[in-house]
Amino acid sequence: MNADRVLAISRRQFYVLWRAPQRWFDMVVWPVVDAVLFGAIGIYFGQQQGGTAASVAFLLSGIILFHVVFQAEVSVATGFLEETWSSNLLNLMVTPLSELEYGAGVALFGLAKLLIGVSLAAVVAFALFAFEITSLGLSLIPLAAVLIVVGWAVALVVIGLILRVGQGAEMMTWGFIALLLPLSGIFYPVRALPDVLQPIAQALPTTHVFAAAHKVVNGHPLPWGEVGIAAGGAVALSALSVWYMTRMLATFRKRGYISRHM
Amino acid sequence: MSGATEPRLRAPVFEARGLVKEYKRVRAVDGIDLTVAAGERVALLGPNGAGKTTTLLMLLGVITPDAGEIEIVGRHLPKERSAAMEQVGFAAGYLPLPERLRVREFLELFGRLYGLRHPAPAVEQGLERFAITHLASAMGNELSSGQRTLVGIIKATLNRPRLLVLDEPTASLDPNVARRVRAGLERLCAEEGTALLVTSHNMVEVERLCERVVFVSAGKVVADGTPEAVAARFGRDDLEGVFLHLADGGVAHEPDQEQVS
Repeated sequence: MNADRVLAISRRQFYVLWRAPQRWFDMVVWPVVDAVLFGAIGIYFGQQQGGTAASVAFLLSGIILFHVVFQAEVSVATGFLEETWSSNLLNLMVTPLSELEYGAGVALFGLAKLLIGVSLAAVVAFALFAFEITSLGLSLIPLAAVLIVVGWAVALVVIGLILRVGQGAEMMTWGFIALLLPLSGIFYPVRALPDVLQPIAQALPTTHVFAAAHKVVNGHPLPWGEVGIAAGGAVALSALSVWYMTRMLATFRKRGYISRHM
Repeated sequence: MSGATEPRLRAPVFEARGLVKEYKRVRAVDGIDLTVAAGERVALLGPNGAGKTTTLLMLLGVITPDAGEIEIVGRHLPKERSAAMEQVGFAAGYLPLPERLRVREFLELFGRLYGLRHPAPAVEQGLERFAITHLASAMGNELSSGQRTLVGIIKATLNRPRLLVLDEPTASLDPNVARRVRAGLERLCAEEGTALLVTSHNMVEVERLCERVVFVSAGKVVADGTPEAVAARFGRDDLEGVFLHLADGGVAHEPDQEQVS
């Protein structure tokens, strides 16, 4: 892997973000909106049931961690989409740049976007609702790491779909992540889901991350068993998504789908 | 040819053997063999749908052939694509510059992707060579199509490629700029031994720039030789006559696939 090429792609992504204010929406507006929304819901339900701090912490820790997976996925998927939107795919594909270098460059800059987005949500949660995400302590590190890997894995599936069916698949950038939202037990325990959905929820690595986070928020030590299941699931999902994306790239080259982007 | 050695006698920079590409029920490329030697200026010609762009995209590693082999500077595709592409430059008249990048940023980005650790001097040199230093700070989407083409050609030559592939390079250039581009390309091929493979629908341009033309029709090579020899083979005065003849479904006067020297 050539580090200069990786950094060149990251720099390209920076220029795109810097000069396209509408691209700040995912990174700036959504985290703030979500933090205000779920903080206020937490306050309201807390007042109804007499446990304001606990419900606020439950919901805000959930939405802040959700933004880790959301930002990781959206930054990589939209980073690739930018190349299709600006007809730059052919230019890139005829360079010595490898798929791994391109992915690393986009993901590297995506981490910076993730840091900004999640930090904004955390600052709003603290400033308006006195909730500190850092109260999760060092547990945050393994939980966030698993969520980042899941986000990147989902992004690879989205990129594979775009390669296969074209730009029409771009809505899945936000669509797949939206599917995780109700199924991952972010704002309620998985047992609150309909019976038919619970096995699906249990199969998702994100469900185990949020279950672990909720335990820590409730004052328990980090359940490493849940983290292990989540990490194993994230590794399996990553392997599947790399396989899928590689297959779709081979199909893209075999069927000459570059003509859609010229 | 200005060099001391005949191009065919030089080492091949690019070799394609038996290329085949089929899309659903259409055979776009049907057994194309093509070799380009160092310093040689070759035009790949033919009517729309003849298989030119598919052939170019296969040799650039963007499309996988159904059959056949491609070797660029001793590197086999697709296995050694990345190493092979370090020796290749590509520009197409129809490709826009990516949005949200200034010209200098665009060129420096691609300089780095092609392995230049410090691309700024090569970028400045390229901008000066094509007399567009005043556009260095312009945004890509502010340029005219001709200016975009020039920037694309500069991008394609930043890494001093052994093989330069240009798809319709002068389509949107005025005659004066086209002449400068042609002179710059001739100099590059002569001085650095860069092999040039170009497609164009401008037959006059091709006659001026290229010493060898390869006509493809229905995915097959139907003529390969100097512009004069190919025109004579088809019983035409010039390449435009050959082009129109092939576009109307005509065939050569002699058996196919023989080199015309």
